[in-house]
Amino acid sequence: MGEGAKAAPQTTSIPLTQQPPVAALHQDAGLNQSMVTTSIDALIGWGRKNSLWPFTFGTACCAIEFMALAASKYDLARFGAEFMRFSPRQSDLLIVAGTITYKQAPILRRIWEQMMEPRWVISVGACASTGGFYDCYCTLPGIDEIVPVDVYIAGCPPRPEAYIEALLQLQDKIQDSSYMKDRAAANHQRIQVG
Amino acid sequence: MSQTATTDLGRELVPANAQSRKAFQDQAFQILSSRFEGILDPADRWGLTVILPAPKLREAVRFLRDDSEFQMDLLLDVTAIDYLEYPGHEEARYAVVYNLRSQRNAARRLRLKVRVEEESPSVPSIHDLFKIANWQERETWDQYGIVFAGHPDLRRLLNHIEFQGHPLRKDYPARKRQWLSTNDPLVDPMVARLKSNGFTVLEAPTANAPSVEETDLLGKVSREQRNNVEKQS
Repeated sequence: MGEGAKAAPQTTSIPLTQQPPVAALHQDAGLNQSMVTTSIDALIGWGRKNSLWPFTFGTACCAIEFMALAASKYDLARFGAEFMRFSPRQSDLLIVAGTITYKQAPILRRIWEQMMEPRWVISVGACASTGGFYDCYCTLPGIDEIVPVDVYIAGCPPRPEAYIEALLQLQDKIQDSSYMKDRAAANHQRIQVG
Repeated sequence: MSQTATTDLGRELVPANAQSRKAFQDQAFQILSSRFEGILDPADRWGLTVILPAPKLREAVRFLRDDSEFQMDLLLDVTAIDYLEYPGHEEARYAVVYNLRSQRNAARRLRLKVRVEEESPSVPSIHDLFKIANWQERETWDQYGIVFAGHPDLRRLLNHIEFQGHPLRKDYPARKRQWLSTNDPLVDPMVARLKSNGFTVLEAPTANAPSVEETDLLGKVSREQRNNVEKQS
């Protein structure tokens, strides 16, 4: 066992049967099984996409469908986004579910401004995305006139499955975004400004 | 007619049939035409609509409300009609419509109509006869621009404070959009109203509306933001 000890120094000469079981497992597993190598971008994206805190701006029937989504049958908690916060300062996903009028537009805009970055917006249904059939003097023709939208959901109102599809698409988008690039851009901007 | 049902308010409601409706309509039109110069509106094919001259309106509404024969104690709605481009219409451009009914007898329901000229669209307010008329008249002014003379607080009800024009007029461009740059001020009127009702407001909350500088960016920032999103994707 002399040459074997040189090639793998972490193994000991004490026979396994004489060791405590936990220590044996730990030593036997080694570094290659207790560690994972990854990039910071992938890790942060993984963390962000699985812990979205939604803020629901529900004004119409789309919000009723959202309630079904949050309830036990469709269960938004499976995707880590079950923690509804009705304070924009504690949430990072704005779900605009319903018709937005010109009278409401400044309020929606202000709520979006109050949210922490990084923040994402899902536009739910025909009304929030395009104004829907409210093609009239009082209704905003799509919330992307005032806030940037990441994912649009079609439907009037969309089924909960559509919400789930949108959430999965948003998760892909969050996973693909680069925290390091954003940070470098922010630093660059700070240096230029300073 | 002898059968009655009790309403939520504990009053007895006499149900209606075709005969009792006809009897009421004949009786009401007879009085409205003889006392208040009312004329029959032939356009109404299902009920009774009486066109009244504007000066007689308040008198007629008060009579219908208080008279023991009528007791029309419910003003369902006040709204208006814009007859611009209405085929075959040669009268005044607007008409204000009052829907009245009784909570005692289901047969008693009628509609009053007042023609309003385009040059000076104005009718007398009935906010003191029916409290609900306050908001109904505000809505009608907001949407049609008809002035209710004597109204204590003729402000917009549905549209936002920066809105120009009256959107339900037929000559309002259907595709015209009007942006609101700030929140409607709600706190200051509320404090004033609390004070006027005898409440003491210990500390007036500061207004939560965004400043003008902030809201001037509203269009610009969003477009930049949108462009950034497009560049990234």
